[in-house]
Amino acid sequence: MEPEELLNIIKGRRSVRSFLEKKIPDEHLKLIMEAGIWAPSGSNIQPWQFVLVREPELIRKIKLVSPGLFGNPDALVVACVDRNRYERAGKLGYTLSLMDVSMAAQNMMLMAYSLGIGSCPIASFSKLALKEILGLPDNFEPVLMISLGYPEKWPSPPERRPLSEVVYVDGYGKHYRG
Amino acid sequence: MVTESIIEDEHFKLLTFLIVSARGCVEEPPIYGPLRLIDAAEKLIALMDKMGKADESLREIMKTIHERKFSVMKDEAEFIKLLDELVLKISRIIKEAR
Repeated sequence: MEPEELLNIIKGRRSVRSFLEKKIPDEHLKLIMEAGIWAPSGSNIQPWQFVLVREPELIRKIKLVSPGLFGNPDALVVACVDRNRYERAGKLGYTLSLMDVSMAAQNMMLMAYSLGIGSCPIASFSKLALKEILGLPDNFEPVLMISLGYPEKWPSPPERRPLSEVVYVDGYGKHYRG
Repeated sequence: MVTESIIEDEHFKLLTFLIVSARGCVEEPPIYGPLRLIDAAEKLIALMDKMGKADESLREIMKTIHERKFSVMKDEAEFIKLLDELVLKISRIIKEAR
């Protein structure tokens, strides 16, 4: 793969909030999930647990307790961190687990985009309600949800802060000039 | 007799949205409070429309919210301008009401 191809995938992904009524093939969902578990994780703890939700009635129920979930996605991935795993990383474990699950989520969204599938990362949901609805054990904490579906349209990209503003070279103060 | 599931009831949907949003607003970015409120307003107008209680001016407000509410993610000033426009639109409805 040419580097530009990967950059185009990264740049092309958008947060999609309106979806077509079209089923995602099982094999594509498997690719998306597999992309997630190949993310890096601190001390290789792999603190994540994922719930893939495909049942339309269950998606409707989850939508009721998720103000940040817009549109009618075909599937949801509820990304959880597992206390029984992240505690093995000591005091930093929880923070690292959030980083790890975020990297897994990005992998999933990029894979989805490469398959023509839209996604949106969602943190605005009731963890309490979600745990109840999905019957999650105490050690599972849902921290991020990813909606998946074929987009009604790809939104335009929001502006990015330029490299010269966000990157310093060899210490604070010297801005990156590329 | 109620035949449809409670989770399909439009009033219940709005009710759960309000309760869950209230809890979420405790920790979410402050600007998400206004977003939740106008999102609820959009849902309420949709409900009024189904019940035959929304006229064209209300449907216009619903359409405006639907099309522009996500400006909150990109341009906060634009989002606040939208809120002002909505206040003006609803004020005109009040003014013209008999």
